[in-house]
Formats: sequence, C-alpha cells, structure tokens
Amino acid sequence: MSDILFKVGYGHFLVLAAVLFLIGMGGVLVRRNALIILMSVELMLNAANMTLLTFARMWGDLSAHTFALIVIAVAAAEAAVGLAIVVAVFRGRRNVDVDKLTALRH
Amino acid sequence: MIINPADFGYIVPYLILVITGLLLVLAEAFYKGKDRTALVSLAVAGALAGAIASVVLYRQVAPGARVTLFGEMLFADRTGYILSALFCVATALTALISPAHQREHEWQLGEYYGLLLLSASGMVMLAHAANLVTIFLGIETMSIAIYVMCAMRRRSRRGNEAAMKYFLIGAFATGFLMYGMALLYGAAGTSNLLRMQSALAATSNPGLVIAGGFLLVVAFGFKIAAVPFHMWAPDAYEGAPTPVTAFMAAAVKAAAVAAMMRLFGLALGGDLLPYGRLGWASPFVVIAAITITLGNISAIRQDNVKRMLAYSSISHGGVLLVGICSLGLGAVSANGSLIYYLIAYTLSTLGAFAVVIYVGSRGNERTLVDDWSGLASKHGGAALAMTVCLLSFGGMPPTGGFFGKFYVFKSAMEVYDGQLLWLVVIGILNSAISIFYYLRIVTAMYFKEPTTPFTPTKSGGLIFVMALCPLLVLEMGIMPGFWLKLVGG
Amino acid sequence: MKAFILALLVAVGLPAIAFAQGSAAPQPGQPGPRPGTIVVQPGQPLPPNVRRLQPGDTPLAVPAKGGAQAPELLQPAKPEKFPHGDRVESKLDSKGIPASKPLALLFWAFAAATIGGALFVVTRRNLIAAVMGMVGSFLGISAIYMMLYAHFLSVVQMLVYAGAIMVLFVFVVMILNRPEDEPVAPTGRIGGVIGGLAIAYLVGRLVMILIKVRPPTGEAANLAPGPTSLGHDWGSVKAVGTDLFGPGLFPFEAISILLLVGVGGAIAIARPLHEDEPASTSGADNV
Repeated sequence: MSDILFKVGYGHFLVLAAVLFLIGMGGVLVRRNALIILMSVELMLNAANMTLLTFARMWGDLSAHTFALIVIAVAAAEAAVGLAIVVAVFRGRRNVDVDKLTALRH
Repeated sequence: MIINPADFGYIVPYLILVITGLLLVLAEAFYKGKDRTALVSLAVAGALAGAIASVVLYRQVAPGARVTLFGEMLFADRTGYILSALFCVATALTALISPAHQREHEWQLGEYYGLLLLSASGMVMLAHAANLVTIFLGIETMSIAIYVMCAMRRRSRRGNEAAMKYFLIGAFATGFLMYGMALLYGAAGTSNLLRMQSALAATSNPGLVIAGGFLLVVAFGFKIAAVPFHMWAPDAYEGAPTPVTAFMAAAVKAAAVAAMMRLFGLALGGDLLPYGRLGWASPFVVIAAITITLGNISAIRQDNVKRMLAYSSISHGGVLLVGICSLGLGAVSANGSLIYYLIAYTLSTLGAFAVVIYVGSRGNERTLVDDWSGLASKHGGAALAMTVCLLSFGGMPPTGGFFGKFYVFKSAMEVYDGQLLWLVVIGILNSAISIFYYLRIVTAMYFKEPTTPFTPTKSGGLIFVMALCPLLVLEMGIMPGFWLKLVGG
Repeated sequence: MKAFILALLVAVGLPAIAFAQGSAAPQPGQPGPRPGTIVVQPGQPLPPNVRRLQPGDTPLAVPAKGGAQAPELLQPAKPEKFPHGDRVESKLDSKGIPASKPLALLFWAFAAATIGGALFVVTRRNLIAAVMGMVGSFLGISAIYMMLYAHFLSVVQMLVYAGAIMVLFVFVVMILNRPEDEPVAPTGRIGGVIGGLAIAYLVGRLVMILIKVRPPTGEAANLAPGPTSLGHDWGSVKAVGTDLFGPGLFPFEAISILLLVGVGGAIAIARPLHEDEPASTSGADNV
C-alpha cells in the first residue's frame, strides 16, 4: 500500500491520464450541452497530452514535447471553430442542447 | 541543420495549395461586389496546378523510393503523389460545382474557396505524412475547414445542425486519435512511422500497442463513418450544402484512408509485427463486415437521395476497410488496389453529387427519389451521367467501380491462409444487394412520368463535371490495366 | 455541348499524357523493391533516417507465417512475486520521478486537483462553475507537467489553456447567458447500461496495461533527465525550442495554416447575418 502511495512511478501518471480521459469521454457521452461536450473533449486532449509527456520523460525524447505543443494549438483552433458553431446554432434556435437538434431526423 | 532547402521542391503541391488558399482568404477581405467568378477561377487554377505539380513529381520519384523530408516529418513517394493528385483534382471539381449551387441557394461566402484549398492542403499533408505529428496535423487542418464549410449556409438551420453534429463527433474522434497516438508513441519511443514498425516489434510493452491500435480504430471509424460510429454521417451529409457533401463523401474519406494506409499499412502492419494479426486487425475486419452490410441495408430504406448516397458511402467505407486490413496483413497488391478503388469512388461520388446539384433548384431541392421521376425524358444527359455513377457505385462491369471492388477483393484473397475469404464473400453479396437501391433511382429516372417540370441549375462548370466524372469512370472500367499500372498495382 | 466535348477531351487525353511515361518506369524483369525499403541511388547521400547495416546489428526477427507465435506475444506479462515489482524504483535518487514522500504527496494533491476539476466540469449544471472547474483542472495538469520535467509545456498549458481558451469559453457562456434545462441525458436504457459496462471493462484493461508499463532503459529511466546534446536543460524552453526549430519546423509552420483556418472559419460562421446577404427564402431551410 505504501508503495502505491509513496513510490510514484510512470504508471501513476499514466493512470491519472487514463482517468482524466475517461472523465472526458463520460462527459461527452452523458452531457447534452454542446459547451460542456466541448470542454470534455478538451479534457480528453489534455489526458492524451499528459500521456505523451509521461512517455517523453520515460524515453528521454524531446520530440514529444513538440507534439504536445502542436496538440495544444490544435485544441485552441478547434475550440474557436466549435464555439463559433455553437453561437451560430444558438442564433437559430436559442439553445445548444444536442438532443434538440432534430431538423435532420427521418 | 536538418532542413534541406531542396526539400521544398518535393512539397510544391502542398505549397501551391497553401499559397492559393491564403490568396483566396486575403482576396475575400478586399473583394467588392457579388460576382465571385474570379475567386472560383483562382481556386480551380490553384488546385489544378497542385495536381499538375503532383504528376510531375510523381514522374521524378522512382517507384518504391522514399525520400524523407523536413527531419522525417514527411516523405515523398509515388503513393503520396498519386493521392495528392487525386485530392487536388477532387478539390478542383468541387470548386467547379460550387458556384452554381451557391448562386442558386444564395450562400455566396468567399471564404468558402479559401477554406476548400486549405482543407485540401491538409489532405496533401496526409498523403505525404511520415510522422504521427503530421498525420494529426493533416487530419485536423482538413477537418476544421470542413466543419466550417458545413455551417456556411448560415441561414439554414439544417446546415448549422449538420455542422454541430459533425463537429462534436469529429472532436470526440480527435480525442481518441490523440490518445491512441500517445500510447503508440509510448510503446515505440518514436513518432516516426518508418521507424515505428521495427520499434513496435521490439517493444517491451505490447499491451500499449494493442490499446493504441484499438483507440486508433475507433478514431478512424468515426472519421470514415464505419458502422458503430456512423450515426453522424447521414445527418451531416444531408444537412451540409451539396457541394460540401460531395467533398466530404469523396475527398475527406479518401484522405482518411490515405492516413490509414500510412498508419496501419506502414507503422502497424507488415511481416514484422505479429500484433497486427490480433491487435487492430481483428476489430477492423468485424467493423468492415458490419459496415458494408448495415450501410447497404439502411440505404434501401431511404427516400432521400442525399441520405441514400450517404449510406452508400458508408458501405463503400467498409470496402475501403477491407483494403486497409489486407494492406496491414501483408497483401502486396493492396496498395495499388486501394488507390484504384479510391479514384473510382471519388470520381463517381463527385459525379453523382454534381447531378444532385443540377437537378435541384431554389426552393425545390428535389432530394427525394420520387422527385427524380422522368428525368431522362427531359434531361437525358444528366440521367445518363447519374446512371453511370450509380452503376460504378454498385460495381457493375463496364465501370471503374467494378474493377475497384474486384482489385480490392483480389488483394484480400492474397492475405495469408485466406483469412479474409469470408469478408470477400460478404462484400460480393452486398454488392448484389446494393444494385437494388441504385436501380431504384435509375428506374425512377427512366420509367416514370415527371410530376413537376424540371428547372435544373445550369452552369458550365457543373455540366463539365457531370460529363467528366462518368467518362473517367467508364475509361477506368474499359482500360483498367492502364490505370492500375499508374497507381503502382 | 461545348462543356461535354471539353470533358471528353480531358477524360481521354489528360491521364494518357500525364502518366504515360511515368507508368512505364518499372522495367520488366527488374521488380521494384518491396514496399518499406528505401532505395538509395549509388552516389546519393543517405537519407538522414537510414544507416547501413553494421556488423554488430541485431537482425530483426521475422516471425513464422501463420501467426503461430502471435498468441503468446499477447499474453499479459506474468505476475511477479510482489505487486508493482516490474516498476523500477530508484531509492537513492530523489530528483527523478518523485521517490521522496513530500514529492509523492504533492503528486497526489495535484492529481486530486486535476480529477476534481474534471469531475466538476462534467457534473455542474452551471456553465460558469464548469469553466472554473476546468481552470482548476488545468492548474493541476500544469503542475503535473512540471513533475514530468516539461517546464515549458507547463507554462504553455497555463498561458494558452487557462489563460486563452478558457476565457473564450467564458465569453461564449456569457453571450449565450442561458441556464441548462436538462443537464444529463435520460439514462436507464439497456443500451446505456451495456455500453457503460463495456467501457468500464475496456478501461479496466487499459489501466492494467498502463500500471505495468516498463521503462525501456530500466533503472536509468527513473533518474532525472540529463541535459540535451546541446547542453540545455531537458524540457526547458531552450531544449524544446531547439527541437521545435529543428525537426519540428515543418509542423510548427504548418500549424499556422490550421490556426488561420480556425480564425477565418470562426469569423465566417459567427459574424452577424448582414443586411447585404439575401433574406431567407423558402428554399433556405429545405436542405
């Protein structure tokens, strides 16, 4: 038990990232508000980034830091476009609940 | 220094697309007036220049050679150039069919053409990607531009809704993609695809390879709309403006397949990696079988032509997955067959959607099958073009679609021990089923009386695409050997 | 008609002209190298990622066809005598992966902040509260990055995520200014339960794999990373910058295209519907 508590190794960081990923995934699957879903996706990307940096440390390889930086930039661009789409949808129907997007059901 | 100035010569198609895209975005800011013809010409010229540059470079590179560029971020090989030529041509054709639809349905946004070319630049990056970083970046550049293009009919609630669904699902898939890539990186210690194969074979953490492979299967399942992950596709395809739908169904799917060819064929496949057999390949073959079957069965029930084409495109995604599986499991000819199939599929899709645009007009989109009744009596050319494209989708003999399916299934038979034989049988049975709903449209066009007079959307570019695509598809069917040799099969 | 003739010409002529010579390149009798091989013309310098086989190299084992070997490679690593025995621990070193108690406690504190913030995001009804939870989560993540010797990334995480992206979210929340009606999808359907169980099982498997991850270099991997080959501290701005402007230059430049797409696209979608745009016609909602 004290090993798990006090001997923090790569496994700890990786499991922390996996839990973060799971929470993000759960948020996307369960919540209905587009903004919360977008935030949950950001959590998933952060979990991926944390995994990447843990492995970078493990392998002593800096190129993953570049990768992580690029992921952060992509997340920013994605958030900008996503929020713009949310605003556009809101303008049309005054709410952003994904369950109420029903114009396309047949 | 790692950057060699000569490397820029190898990515001229990419540079052309990027520069033209930037010019178009800039031009929109300073452009006055409603007439966007100049922008369309510039976009088509840029995309065609990219295609020509790809062809020129294709001939420069020896078959089988790989030149690594920019610190191994990209590489130049024949597969990459033929794919980037395909993406550039698809972009040019999309740019040609767009203005008529924009004029008719009044969503003339100049940013559209800039985003179209920048999206294509992401696809070209995917075609040449030699690193997880460039694959990720290419997919995102392509996807983010497409999300925006979906939402460009800004007064249409359906367009916004389609964009929202596509965006949320796409972002979710990005999360899986990135996490899967991180795990693969952890197993291999490198993000370079060329070195990854041997690194993975010697890894001390085989579990990470399997977990990462599964996550990538999920991510790409979303991207090409394979069946458990396909729910967004019919809505997004129906709600998006038709030229964007054409681009999504044709080029985006082809680009995702290009990325998969690199990732699953190169890094995760081949003889060196026994995990390929039981790691990602086993869920993939199951997904391929379900995708082909359910895509077809759902298409039968559709009355809306755009939705029917969406489900048919899902089913074609399944056939592409069969090709990817056989590539990863070591079938040597799978590379050429996949590219052949992609070309035939892309051209048929663009042709079919061009006819959909032609038939519709303002206030009357005519997307129901019944609306197409009697098209042949008034507009025989359009009906003929649609028929050829549909026959190619269905895999009927004198078309490229037939040989595409034939070559893909033939490569699948090459996989060791006939492991994919059952998949080939399912694919062929489904080809037969699919004829049924394609013929529904053909029967409506030829053997029914028109209900209301047609007021087609006419434009030179549109008619050109409607003529070019079926002709090329027929040509691919008549001289398949020539085309197969081009793609290195 | 003119368009048709033009199309006919292009369809027949272009591919023939474009590829006729190129396709003839593979000579008969000289089969091309198998895919995956890199061909270097004599006299050409080797590409940077290739080196010639040296006498001491281990040849890569090629498994027998048929996958007879495959199942055994998939067996999970044999459980060792004591739990976590496969994790290499360096008791002497307190600078690497935190082996000392205070550092371990800090790890748990920041992990709690990360997970707590994330849970806050997915459970709160109030959107502003969710955003604040997100910021707390990013604070924890940033500190965790610091523990992983990713100093530069840690700062970027705070500046870009907490500083910029979250401000954007707050803006949009303020613009929409609307509480949520029904925060959570109605559950209780069989499908949801089965899906949840499947996900739980897969995540359990994933955690088992992750706990067992073995560092490739054994004991050495737990030590504090040494300076890079250029003498910069590992993970510092200098070290990451050197990588970013070396092999990472192409993606670094290409990301500007992506950001341009994001900015231009966001403006195109979200700007107000102008007067000069045509009014909605009956057909606008049709597709």
